[in-house]
Amino acid sequence: MELIHNAKKALNRLKIRFDDVAIKMILKDSVMVKIWNNQISVTQSWKTIESRIYLAKNKRILELSLSLERPEDIVKVCDEMSKYVNVMKESEIYAPLPEPMTYKPLKDLTDARIHDYMDNPLPLVEGLISSALDNGAQRVAGTLELSIERKALVTSKGFEGEEEGSEVMCYLRAFKGDVSGHWAFGSRRVNKESIEYVGRKAAEIATLSKGKVSVKPGKYDVILSPLVVGNLLNDVAMMASGLYIMMGFSMFMKFKIGDVIASDIVSLYDVPRNIELARSTSFDDEGIETYDKPIIERGRFTNVLHNVKTSSKLGGKTTGNAGWITPLPWNIELKPGNYSEEELIREVRRGLLITNNWYTRLQNYVEGQFSTVSKDAVFYIENGEIKGYTERIRIADTFVNLLRNVRAMGKTQYLIRWWEVRIPSKVPYLLAANVNITKPYA
Amino acid sequence: MVLSEDLVQRALDEALSLGASYAEVRYQRDEVSEVALRNGNVIGFGKNISEGVGIRVIVDGALGFASTNILTIDEIRGTVEKAINRARALAKLMKEPISFSEERVGRASYNVIPKKDLSELSIEDRITLGVEIHKSIINTVKEVKVAVTAFFIRDHTQEKLIINSDGAYIKSYIPRLSLTLNFVLAHPQKGTLQRYVSYGASGGSELIKEWKPEEEIVNEVKNLERVLLKGKEPPKDEIDVVVGPEVVGLIVHESAGHPMEADRILGREAAQAGESFVKPEMIGKYRIGSELVTIVEDPTIPGSYGYYLYDDEGVPARPRYLYYKGIINEPLHNRHTGKIFGVGSNGAARAMDYKSEPIIRMSNTYFKPGNMEFDELIEDIKLGVYIKSFMEWNIDDIRWNQRYVGLEAYIIRDGEVREDEPVRNPVLEITTQGFYSRVTGVDKNLRFYPATCGKGEPAQGVPVWIGGPNVRVSRIRLGVRV
Repeated sequence: MELIHNAKKALNRLKIRFDDVAIKMILKDSVMVKIWNNQISVTQSWKTIESRIYLAKNKRILELSLSLERPEDIVKVCDEMSKYVNVMKESEIYAPLPEPMTYKPLKDLTDARIHDYMDNPLPLVEGLISSALDNGAQRVAGTLELSIERKALVTSKGFEGEEEGSEVMCYLRAFKGDVSGHWAFGSRRVNKESIEYVGRKAAEIATLSKGKVSVKPGKYDVILSPLVVGNLLNDVAMMASGLYIMMGFSMFMKFKIGDVIASDIVSLYDVPRNIELARSTSFDDEGIETYDKPIIERGRFTNVLHNVKTSSKLGGKTTGNAGWITPLPWNIELKPGNYSEEELIREVRRGLLITNNWYTRLQNYVEGQFSTVSKDAVFYIENGEIKGYTERIRIADTFVNLLRNVRAMGKTQYLIRWWEVRIPSKVPYLLAANVNITKPYA
Repeated sequence: MVLSEDLVQRALDEALSLGASYAEVRYQRDEVSEVALRNGNVIGFGKNISEGVGIRVIVDGALGFASTNILTIDEIRGTVEKAINRARALAKLMKEPISFSEERVGRASYNVIPKKDLSELSIEDRITLGVEIHKSIINTVKEVKVAVTAFFIRDHTQEKLIINSDGAYIKSYIPRLSLTLNFVLAHPQKGTLQRYVSYGASGGSELIKEWKPEEEIVNEVKNLERVLLKGKEPPKDEIDVVVGPEVVGLIVHESAGHPMEADRILGREAAQAGESFVKPEMIGKYRIGSELVTIVEDPTIPGSYGYYLYDDEGVPARPRYLYYKGIINEPLHNRHTGKIFGVGSNGAARAMDYKSEPIIRMSNTYFKPGNMEFDELIEDIKLGVYIKSFMEWNIDDIRWNQRYVGLEAYIIRDGEVREDEPVRNPVLEITTQGFYSRVTGVDKNLRFYPATCGKGEPAQGVPVWIGGPNVRVSRIRLGVRV
């Protein structure tokens, strides 16, 4: 399909009536296999085309997302929208779209094997299930998703760009008795080994237990698995968005660039140029070339994620993270340390290994007060040894406490994406001290 | 509807001719408009139109779903083939072939007709409302500052046509309106306090007058300023706690609604939204709470945010009693789980949009009110805490271990709510049985709140109401937010 051709055709008609126009068309073809009780619950397939449109006139901003492809249909809806321009007020964040810039296209964003597996995912699904069952799991549930996405972007300033990429997301939860283990993988590239690793690792966690122990609420040293690290840092990275800061949904409201907000071994990056990760892209929605950048560098708050609007409002330059209205992280990476996973466990005198979590919610974004519940196995560690698995517990602390108390980082980074890690993440295990743990009293 | 009904029917015929033992075609169009303001200034106006068809089939005992928004004959035919071929290719992995319960499916058309059309609430009116609410907040605070306000007003119209191979024909149109406000109060010594509050219902522009958001928010800001400036830790001993309708609504949604979704009970969502502490053998027998605990799930409440009369499998909607007088009673079923449990569907299948498979969802979940006045509920409490609103909450994936952190809360002393003794961030962290078995009083003041419930993969957010009256729970030890 001629995405860019259709986008340009619509653009040419709309730019007569608006000061700024940007059109992003996305064609996505995907298949998802869901697994429960060692079998398939449903196989889902999607083919969608979406047109996202940004319009501005006299500093009034409109943003549209339409299930439309034909230029004349898009223009018709936009024409209807133009009546709102007269009754809207100037946007507080308006800034003109940027002048077009050249960008270095990322290569190898598409893995042809994903295309092949989309028509026949059976070998991957069989491998995923059997790798867990063969390693001691009694039952499994999970998801395998494969997709190919093509996007075209044109702006009234003259930017034109087109890009295609593939994606795999795979996660599996393995059960043995009362205990479950969970692992996940997300990338632009797929092979059978990486899928089978997910099953093996989930089973390994589910079968690691040495009997049940009960823990009391209080402060513990905790080792967080890459799934937990990914989940919590997704929230931290989102809060670095300039618009989130402006709207009161960010702990970074309280901080200035350069403030120490984490231990000096914490370096968290937004990495749109890492082609291993699924949201890697050469250009953002305003046509700005993307680049990798720290959000936190050696413990210091380093960058707000900006588009031209938030940067003009808050100061600084765009960081290539548009979203026309909301800048967002593309992919995140937490830089690794020197520890093997066994060495991290050996560092702990009295603590917990939390292998997975879910339901992270905040009492107050500005203070970064959050809690999150363990989802799969939590192991109690004493004097460097795992003593058994515990009941479900909760981390209830603040993000700043947690980040400032990071003591050690694993040396292996994992590519994680799953239901609770929506931003593709390349993250290691980490060890943090004095983390507040709670559980129900009755 | 841009798609002809003839094309929808042809897709169904095509699926059956290709070997599906069951087929269902759903056309769905969702149109959402939203205005966003910050500190009374406009950020922008957004519109989202999502429109397409979702096709679900059972082939060789395997379930397949495929969707497209490219609404040509060829593309729809290709989508049908994809649903069938991909389900068939994986059917060899099925150990328990999928089939649906026999149901008397509907042939009906229904619309929610607002008293005043959504279009009567102009963009100017929406902006003015956001500006006025911001001004009211600024003018209400005395000693604290307002760090930020964010205001969103959105309307959503949903149009569906569902036909299936069992003869269902359901056509519906539901308009909804919602309003959301976030604000942060700040004080140099006391820190910050954040509130996120929503209104939402099905209907039209008349809802704004019914909600009176400006009036309510002014009162709330006054109270929250007092909480920020004077709030103390809750008592450390076991006390009686009275939980207000907003918090009760959330509790019943999380710890009665979700665990009573039959697909969770069977493990279908194990890797995503989780499973349930409820086991099939507990249904109709297991006591989870006191005699005062009856939790109702009802899609048919007129004007509700989660309103529907037929579910997305064509089954008529009706009220379900999840917990009845403290006993685990009736799970939410679709036609798949209804077949496995041998009880049939009770009409709980919903899909967020055309791209989503219908799965078991809540609609409007509430704690059945009692007969007491609020004063009667608290009259014999010597020392307690009244928790009126919340911010942070979560629950484990089997819906047992849960936590709610209060925002507006007060001491109850000698049968009176002491507004001059606010409580800061009281933590109610308790098990499901721990909570419901401690219920010792329920008043008559039922109120509903809107929410967007998330479940499924890809995640589907559907509009629901959560609600309840004021509920007294005894022998509670509250925690303190670190």
